Amino acid sequence: MTFNNTRKVVAAISTLAICGSLAACGSSNSAADDKNLVFLDGYPQYDENSAWAKVVQKCAPEGYTVERQLQDETMNPLTTAVKEDNAPDIAMIDNPTLPSAVDAGMVVDLEAAGVKTDGFNEGIIDTGKVDGVQYGISYGINTLGLYYKPDILEKAGVDPASITDWDSLNAAIEKVVNAGYKGITFSGIATEEGVFQYLPWFWGAGGDLSKPDSQAAQDARDLLAGWVSKGWAPKSSTTNNQSAAWDVFMSEDYAFAENGSWQAQSATEKGYEVIAIPSKDGGNSAPVPFGGEFLVLPYHKTANDAKQKAAAEFVNCMTGENLLEVAESIGYLAPKDDVLEQQLKDQTYLADWAESASSAQGRTTELGLKYESISSGLSQKLQDALNQK
Amino acid sequence: MSAVASAKIVTPSVPGFVRRWFSKSRLAAFGFAAPLVVYLLLFYVSPLVQNVSMSLHRYTRRTFVTGDAPFTGLDVYREVLSSSEFWVTLGQTLVFVFASIVVQYALGLALAVFFNQSFRLSGFLRGIFLVPWLLPPMVSGTTWQWMMDADNGILNRFLGLFGVDPVWWLQADNSLWAVIIANIWLGIPFNLVILYSGLQNINGDLYEAASIDGCNGWQRFWRITFPLLRPVTLITLMLGFVYTLKTVDIIWLMTQGTGTSQTLATWAYALAFAKGSHMTIQYSEASVIGTILILVALAFAFVYLWAQRKEEEA
Repeated sequence: MTFNNTRKVVAAISTLAICGSLAACGSSNSAADDKNLVFLDGYPQYDENSAWAKVVQKCAPEGYTVERQLQDETMNPLTTAVKEDNAPDIAMIDNPTLPSAVDAGMVVDLEAAGVKTDGFNEGIIDTGKVDGVQYGISYGINTLGLYYKPDILEKAGVDPASITDWDSLNAAIEKVVNAGYKGITFSGIATEEGVFQYLPWFWGAGGDLSKPDSQAAQDARDLLAGWVSKGWAPKSSTTNNQSAAWDVFMSEDYAFAENGSWQAQSATEKGYEVIAIPSKDGGNSAPVPFGGEFLVLPYHKTANDAKQKAAAEFVNCMTGENLLEVAESIGYLAPKDDVLEQQLKDQTYLADWAESASSAQGRTTELGLKYESISSGLSQKLQDALNQK
Repeated sequence: MSAVASAKIVTPSVPGFVRRWFSKSRLAAFGFAAPLVVYLLLFYVSPLVQNVSMSLHRYTRRTFVTGDAPFTGLDVYREVLSSSEFWVTLGQTLVFVFASIVVQYALGLALAVFFNQSFRLSGFLRGIFLVPWLLPPMVSGTTWQWMMDADNGILNRFLGLFGVDPVWWLQADNSLWAVIIANIWLGIPFNLVILYSGLQNINGDLYEAASIDGCNGWQRFWRITFPLLRPVTLITLMLGFVYTLKTVDIIWLMTQGTGTSQTLATWAYALAFAKGSHMTIQYSEASVIGTILILVALAFAFVYLWAQRKEEEA
């Protein structure tokens, strides 16, 4: 008898537990959630007290709350979420992954959803288009430059103004090394980050992404691999990501570093300066890639127009009236010229970056989805070259 | 007698075997087994089936989202198996696995025998040896990468004391051996713990008898310890094999699977999540490699079962 009773109790409890968990699963469409916008946010480093999180909350449309869903990498979680019809209402994706997201039907036409696209720097707004349709919108960009330590250059007798092409850069590095300092750090890691850092040299040698086997590609590899083999750049360049390469630059006697505008503040605090990356034969500085993320509106199999409208409102707030605050909160350069002007007054350390940022090139603008395989090929060849293979 | 018995069986309207099948105790047995069966189906069988199904369809990011990946049969298998990268990677994987487990086992056993003498502080020292096991791979991987830094790493500084030229540990040709060294360090505690507990189960009288018979330490090890430890050895090697075969974290943290350090597991990871030098997501290729990894592990499991049966027969 006792045994039977116990069994009944166990059965009742497990039934309750199952119902409970099912109810929890099923609640995602309840009324309360209709007023909650989920934002897939790739900046887990910014906690709720950060300027970024505050401006995100500030942009919650009237009657809605915004919930940040934090992920280091957003593209794979977004893919699964769209497939399961469980997608966030707004998402952030790294800009070169946009063609793949469009190809897979994971994102919707922003303008049709009510996102405003006027007032942007033309080159920048276009990077968010695929086949003429605006799928991604920028709220700030970053790019690459050549940082240097003025005190080391002075002691080694190098005038930074003399660095105008690859030969003069090599001469400068050699002079610094001969004076007992170290040369240059960069990120040659076997990921898209390494390709991002390789592109200014590739483009600076006249390279064209549609011809990845060109002499320019080889010249750029030879330049970087040469630095490693001569000991001017650390051997760890093959595995350093950009933040590791920056740490090496900061902690040791390196004179130069190829790194991003997001380091401008810490560089300025240390008294370091920056010049544009030189092209192979001088003249104009090398074209630099456009870095940063896009805001996108994910596709939902079960449409909810009211929610999508609210999501578009959120995006308009982030890229419209609050753009200045958004860009300043993460140290990215605002993609609208008038806003950028104000930002450069507030964050003077970004002044050196304005020009290169406005001419930054999209990696996928010409190639679209094909960029993926081209980038993979460049990455493998660069890795071999840096490993002196 | 027999007529009565048969009459008794015939009387009920429900046939006997059905009644026995649905007997209360049997139903209860099913009831108790059901949660486990459901759990196994949900968390083991279904991912496995899904993995195999993915390897038989052509999944791209688009067909993954839309769900209309075309069935391609064994096409993707053929593509993967006919690429030279597969065979090179398989070779590297086998070197990684066997070099790791052989050295891990040898060092783990040596340490286990050493600590089995239970001297003063042996418990404490044994505890210290477990540290690699307790550290998150993120910490140990990054630390090894830092120690093996070609320009400033502590390893090269140490070798420099003996006049050895600095080694570029993580360079493409050396990276396989670099990750093997780190993985051996990581695997020693596991071998030490299991083998140590195996040693404790060996009856001390045997050693006493052996020393009365005049055996030296070397003979005691090879004639008593090693043979009596065989069942424990088998399970240690078996588990070590599976753990090592599927290792991604330590390799990825040190080299992103570049150069010779690419194993089937890191390759599958890179393809499945578009990591490293693979910007295009390749679900199907990754699933093929995953399936092959499962088959390799399964083959080794059969070797283990066979060895275990031989052990029992002996």
